Amino acid sequence: MKDSPNDKSRYLCPYCARVFDALEDLKTHVFAEHKDEPLRRPEGLIRLKINGEVHEVQVEPNWTLYQLIHDELGLTGAKMFCDRGACGSCTVIMEGRPILSCMTLAIECDGMEIETVEGIAAKEHPLIESYVKHHCMQCGYCTPGFVVTAKALLDRNPDPSEEEVKDALAGNLCRCGTYPQHPKAVLEAAQVLNARREVKNDA
Amino acid sequence: MMPERFNEMPSNPMERDKYIPDTFRILGKRGTRRIDGFRKASGTAVYTRDIILPGMLYAKWLTCPYPNAKIISLDTQRAEELPGVRAILRYDDPEVYGRRIPTLQGGEEDILAGYAYFQGQQVGAVVAADTEEIADEALKLLRVTWEKRPFILEAREALEPGAPLTRPEWRPKSNLMPLFFQPTDTFRFGDVEKGFKEADRIIEFKARRRYHGCSDAEPVSGITRWEGECAELWLHHQHPYEHKWMMNMWFGSPMSKVKINAPYNGAMFGGWNWIDYSMVPQYVSALLAKRTRKPVKWIFDRRDDFTFGSLDAMESEFKVGFKEDGTITAVKIKTYFENLSFEAGLHFVENTKIPNVESQTLVAQVNKGPVHAIRCEQLPPAFAAIHVFNHVAAELEMDPIQLALKNDGAEGEDIVKLEDFKRKHGFPLRDSLRECVEAGKKAIGWDEKWHAPGAHKLPNGKMHGMSFIWDHEWDDNRGAGAAGLMIQQDGSVSIIALRSDVGVNAESTYCQIVAEELGMRPEDVFLRQQDDVHLPLMTPDGSCNLTTNGYVMKKVAKRAKKKLLELATTTVHMIERDVPPAFPDMNPEDLDIKDSIIYVKKDPSIKKTVAEVVKDVKGSFMQKHEYGAIQNTTHEPIYAWAWHRQGRLGKEPGRQRLCRQAHFCEVEVDPETGEVEVTKVVNVNDVGKAMSPETVEGQQYGGTYMGIGRNRSEEYIWDPKTGVLLNGNLVDYKFASMRDVGPIETVIVETSLGLGPYGSVGIGEDVATDTTNLLQGAVYNAIGKWVDDGPITPKKVLEALGKA
Repeated sequence: MKDSPNDKSRYLCPYCARVFDALEDLKTHVFAEHKDEPLRRPEGLIRLKINGEVHEVQVEPNWTLYQLIHDELGLTGAKMFCDRGACGSCTVIMEGRPILSCMTLAIECDGMEIETVEGIAAKEHPLIESYVKHHCMQCGYCTPGFVVTAKALLDRNPDPSEEEVKDALAGNLCRCGTYPQHPKAVLEAAQVLNARREVKNDA
Repeated sequence: MMPERFNEMPSNPMERDKYIPDTFRILGKRGTRRIDGFRKASGTAVYTRDIILPGMLYAKWLTCPYPNAKIISLDTQRAEELPGVRAILRYDDPEVYGRRIPTLQGGEEDILAGYAYFQGQQVGAVVAADTEEIADEALKLLRVTWEKRPFILEAREALEPGAPLTRPEWRPKSNLMPLFFQPTDTFRFGDVEKGFKEADRIIEFKARRRYHGCSDAEPVSGITRWEGECAELWLHHQHPYEHKWMMNMWFGSPMSKVKINAPYNGAMFGGWNWIDYSMVPQYVSALLAKRTRKPVKWIFDRRDDFTFGSLDAMESEFKVGFKEDGTITAVKIKTYFENLSFEAGLHFVENTKIPNVESQTLVAQVNKGPVHAIRCEQLPPAFAAIHVFNHVAAELEMDPIQLALKNDGAEGEDIVKLEDFKRKHGFPLRDSLRECVEAGKKAIGWDEKWHAPGAHKLPNGKMHGMSFIWDHEWDDNRGAGAAGLMIQQDGSVSIIALRSDVGVNAESTYCQIVAEELGMRPEDVFLRQQDDVHLPLMTPDGSCNLTTNGYVMKKVAKRAKKKLLELATTTVHMIERDVPPAFPDMNPEDLDIKDSIIYVKKDPSIKKTVAEVVKDVKGSFMQKHEYGAIQNTTHEPIYAWAWHRQGRLGKEPGRQRLCRQAHFCEVEVDPETGEVEVTKVVNVNDVGKAMSPETVEGQQYGGTYMGIGRNRSEEYIWDPKTGVLLNGNLVDYKFASMRDVGPIETVIVETSLGLGPYGSVGIGEDVATDTTNLLQGAVYNAIGKWVDDGPITPKKVLEALGKA
């Protein structure tokens, strides 16, 4: 069968019976002409931007942000380790700040912009390669939390000292004891980023 | 565990592999890209905790609020009525009642007990529900009547006559645990009374190490799903293959119908405890999955993880005799263990010349969770040896390094005997301990900095201290492993084996060995270890990985290489035509392989890539594809497999451990607060041959962080009044974080004195186990007082200084 606009669903205005092809057009019409908010957003429906993509999700009031991104959205880079805000493994960046997703209620994140390790890797951030090169992971379970925390540091401080890197990562726990490798990797990633910036500025 | 005399090696049950320095292209070189690195850094590596299957239920346990109690009645009705609850398994269910699972050293655990012998024990009932939250709610709706019983937390108290029984269901007469591996409670080597008579001086002291735990990063869980009679399991476990046997035992499932998935493990330091314990919940999940006809994931939360502890919860009384020159003539130990033991006197026999050792082991069952090996069962003998050497050196006011060199040896014999052994078995005549201490002394500046106890006050008001500890490297080899190897038609190489991810980057090292032996580039070899291909590698099933699996890799690569070169030189006779070889008129021995290219030895300009040789272009005729993958192939796939058994179980009679390790540290002790700051650590490990230097270093600094954490803060704390565990979470139970240890310098020594492939010896357990007692000597050196009660908390330091 040929695909034509006629085969698609059409939307009828309940006030004046005008017909629309797209639901968004109907919504705009009802709001403008009939001064009413059609399809009121149900309680618990939140909209957030994760790694640049918009997600609209119906959440339970008791869900943590970790549950939402890990269990519901399948972004498994955030890890459940201590379950109590003590280890940093569930860290994501929200509005530019590293936060603990296991200690944040999802319902409070309406309208927020969030970056996870998946987004950081997709952008080919040099932290990922420098983490691999410097063997910053053993079992690897806590590694994404370190990467996200380090990314947030480099976002606000592109040229940190070794002590500043250690301060930033001091709240992340690693049972395998990979700690000595992280400052090396973060400082190297900072160098790569700064070199890229210089090339950009020169151009 | 009877002592073995320094025997002639009756026959050589172990392969002896020699390390020829500087002949490797890949092994031992830095910078090989690890195969798990990107997945782990980018968050795409999948762990069991991450897996959610369609329709999956969550199983959670009732836990006992009391340290010693029995269920009188259990009413599950309200919980069953809660929407979303799909099944409740009760302890008196006919399928579990009285059913037990064997555990370490002859013990047994009920699959689902109706009684508890420690607070927080998983007992009585398991709820399977649509979500974790519903399961938690249902557990709160259970009505349980408990019979509370008296409890005991201290080993000595539990062994007093007339003490209340800590496990009446297990041992109705006494709290003393029988020892399954030895005929009496006392291990004897030589004659200690004779040794004390020969001594110039005799000292006595006590030392203790308190109950600590595992705190693996990923809280344990597992999944079972049934497809008809076929079961599929997802396991956070050290021994995935063993679950096939367990499914066979429990459900009569043929092992061929059980599929195992071994996703990445978020740390796997807890040894035997997980093996027994995670098999119990896995069984429960399989049973509930069968009943509900849905996948069931069992879940332990962070508090559940505090169920288990390490087997060096111990208190020892030492008596040591020695001569003025430092020769130790006798060591006598009496140890009270909590819940399990491992022979504390072992290292004196295995790696010193001390001729007389007597060690009594008393295991008291107390109302704390089960203990097993966490990272290593050698914690008790390392604890004992380190404390004895610390005290003897201090008593003699002798440099502890000189004391170590004076007593190095094996089985009561001098180092000269070890040299005879080396000569006889083709080892190089190198002195591992001497090489290790020389390297370490230099790295820490020992000769410049070492001082008398309490003699070095720093300008900041703190007391400076140093310590040195030493041991042998015991991860030498044991066990068996199997693997296949297939060269795919694009020339990429698959290692085919099932293994769970334990250790640092082990799979990359296996790929390196295969690449080295087969002549491939490392990036052309891959092992996806989590797939069930029915060929199990060591995981480690007994402390060792590389020293067994490395031999498997060598063997399988050699066999595949032979087949590949035969293919390259052999005409294949088909029904209608002959397919000529890639290298006509050549024999396999005329060819070799390097960087994934097969070349003619006499004229390396004649060459073809491995991919060109194995690709079956000639077979492709029907489609326009560049390949003939299945029905059009003209030659059998290049496939080989190998199995290797290494040794028996640990240390065979007559086999000596020749590699040594030495660790050094500097501390600053604040006499006002009692705080111990670790300002520098040097690890020196003779690993024989470091196949992946970055991996060895990872075990060194990683193990040091674990050891220092145990030294300073890791301890489970129970309320003496109620028997309730007070710090079962990672806020109050503290292991080392980034700021807790000063710079760590790692030194690798390569003497080729190991029995593993290329003369190697493993390292995974050794550093953490020894450095668990690294600070005792340093604190003594700083303040002139012993704090032989680990962890060394500020309070204990102040008590030692008479300030608390």
